[in-house]
Amino acid sequence: MGASRYISSGLIEAYVSRLATPQETQELELAIDQYPEVATAVEDCRLGMEHYIMLQSVTPPTVVKQNLIRIIAEEEAGKLIGEETEETQIIEDTPVRKLYVNSSWRWAAVAAILLLLGSLLLNYIYFSRYSDYQARYEALLTGNNTLASERNVYRARMEQLEHSLDIVKDPSVQTVKMPGTKSFPSSLATVYWNKASKEVFLMANNLPQPAAGKQYELWAIVAGKPLDMGVFDISTDTAAILQKMKSVDNAEMFAITLENKGGSPAPTMDQMYVAGKTS
Amino acid sequence: MQGLKAKDQKVFSYLYDRYSPALYGVAMKVLNEESNAGDVLQEVFLKIWRNIDRYDESKGRLFTWMLNITRNTAIDTLRSKAHKMDQKIQVIGDDVHLYTTNLTVHPSVDHLGLSKVLEKLTKEQRVIIDLAYYKGCTQEEISKVLEIPLGTVKTRMRNAIIQLRNLLKI
Repeated sequence: MGASRYISSGLIEAYVSRLATPQETQELELAIDQYPEVATAVEDCRLGMEHYIMLQSVTPPTVVKQNLIRIIAEEEAGKLIGEETEETQIIEDTPVRKLYVNSSWRWAAVAAILLLLGSLLLNYIYFSRYSDYQARYEALLTGNNTLASERNVYRARMEQLEHSLDIVKDPSVQTVKMPGTKSFPSSLATVYWNKASKEVFLMANNLPQPAAGKQYELWAIVAGKPLDMGVFDISTDTAAILQKMKSVDNAEMFAITLENKGGSPAPTMDQMYVAGKTS
Repeated sequence: MQGLKAKDQKVFSYLYDRYSPALYGVAMKVLNEESNAGDVLQEVFLKIWRNIDRYDESKGRLFTWMLNITRNTAIDTLRSKAHKMDQKIQVIGDDVHLYTTNLTVHPSVDHLGLSKVLEKLTKEQRVIIDLAYYKGCTQEEISKVLEIPLGTVKTRMRNAIIQLRNLLKI
């Protein structure tokens, strides 16, 4: 391409306005070195462009100059102290790269520390949650066990009640109500006597808890003589649950006395709590 | 120049007073933002101060060298702000719209005769110069934004600059 063709191609204008591609720029810069008239044309065109740029001048804020003067004064003062002006200038290229590496490592370190802190925080949070859930789980487990054992207690009690009910329902059972004697008027007990099977069941409707070392004893009066029917304890359920006693063929009367633990061969008459006739 | 290369702070102060409005004007045109333009101007003058040894008088005028530093620094800032191409195009698109609807000039520069020049330069001519120089757009980008064929971009630029130079000679 000759010099005049460069001048009319529009490449110079593109170069000066920075529109030219890198290849075009390289090509024209070679032409500038080669043809003085191209160099002149470029310079003329550039002056026009720079004039246009100058027309759009804006006065900058004064703070920019103040900052610059301060920064430069500080830099110069630093150089004077070091007295290594030349050296610092020579090394100038490398510190930029070194600084870049340093700062990137610094950022990596900052990021790593932040990640570590974040991880520690999450660990702490999740561990406390875990402990919380574990405590709750154990509480639930305990509660569940309690419920299960309570349920067993109730089932056993219900079975006993059903059993008691079965005994009472039998048509051959005779109910013998034993009201309190004069000494213990509020006491009450009931004997369920199955005349077919001869079995005797006792319900202690209302008997006071005996003193330590004492036990109640049931007696059957057969042909005017007392017959031991067995000893029994008072528990929370005796007012509702039937206790099986010894069997008897025939009895005119049933009575309960308080005796020493284990029972006595003969009843202590002044310790008779309840008594009831069979007919 | 010798004062500058000897790192004379008084010479530097003179240089600043003489050229900062033109360079600040470039930063403002590129960034459309005062705060960033101020930062860019400061950076530019620090670069000039620190790298003055690299300036070669035989290769061009000092003003050209300073303009290059300013334009490159400002466009780098612009791109770091909106590095996605579509965002950049969006910014440019807004500018084009601004040019076509409103041709008012900053009052502080009006005394330089800018409005006289601009009146005689068509909107198209102004936009194409500004997109290339101040926004750093490639020929492809300009072709896309102005919706003109790629081959027309350089021709239109040539005509714009010829017209500009004619106006400035008056």
